[in-house]
Amino acid sequence: MTRDPAGWDVDSLVQAEVFVVWLDGDRIQLTGPDGPQAWYLQLGTTDHPVEVVDRIVRDTVGPPILVHSTSWRRDRDAVILSFVVAIGAEAVGSMASVPIDRAELARSEATAAPRDIATSAVVEHGLRHLAWLVEDDPVVAAELPAAWHPVLAGYIPEPFRALG
Amino acid sequence: MDDQTAYTNRCACGWEVSGTMDEVVDATIDHGLRIHHMEATREQVVAVLLGEDPATQASA
Repeated sequence: MTRDPAGWDVDSLVQAEVFVVWLDGDRIQLTGPDGPQAWYLQLGTTDHPVEVVDRIVRDTVGPPILVHSTSWRRDRDAVILSFVVAIGAEAVGSMASVPIDRAELARSEATAAPRDIATSAVVEHGLRHLAWLVEDDPVVAAELPAAWHPVLAGYIPEPFRALG
Repeated sequence: MDDQTAYTNRCACGWEVSGTMDEVVDATIDHGLRIHHMEATREQVVAVLLGEDPATQASA
């Protein structure tokens, strides 16, 4: 007897959404252990989100260059904390990747969150945030290899903000 | 009599496993912990595979 497939998913009230990116020449690529898509992590009430993301990335992918939370929003019946995690090309291994295209941002109203937020908008905002950090944060500027800097310069700097 | 039923669990990330109940449960717990930081119990995974409410199992 064969039963129908069951479904399984991260279902905590707070979740980390990780975008693993790496630099391929002058193009930023999206990858991850699940493929080139948002990677969700369960966060418990006592978990520090940055520590969890850093540890799971280290254990699963390898040591990251940079782990940074770039936005949050309400989605998936949870509060989603989005992270951009930069890794070196040597850590990509057999993980599938796709080049990241530019995208329109999801714009808030004056006192309300955007109604719809595409994944591409979250990634775009994350990279703009990273571009701002490279200019503003000496740690980020020092940790991100020099080849990243001119590529990120193409993104309009924008500080941390709530997306939803 | 041994359970010869084949089970499949499909994670939203695209990962999928098929096999006996024990194989699917073990693989699901391992995948959840390693890839998604989920600490699922055997009872919770079994409940999902059997189409039961895992919340009921978790509080049992």
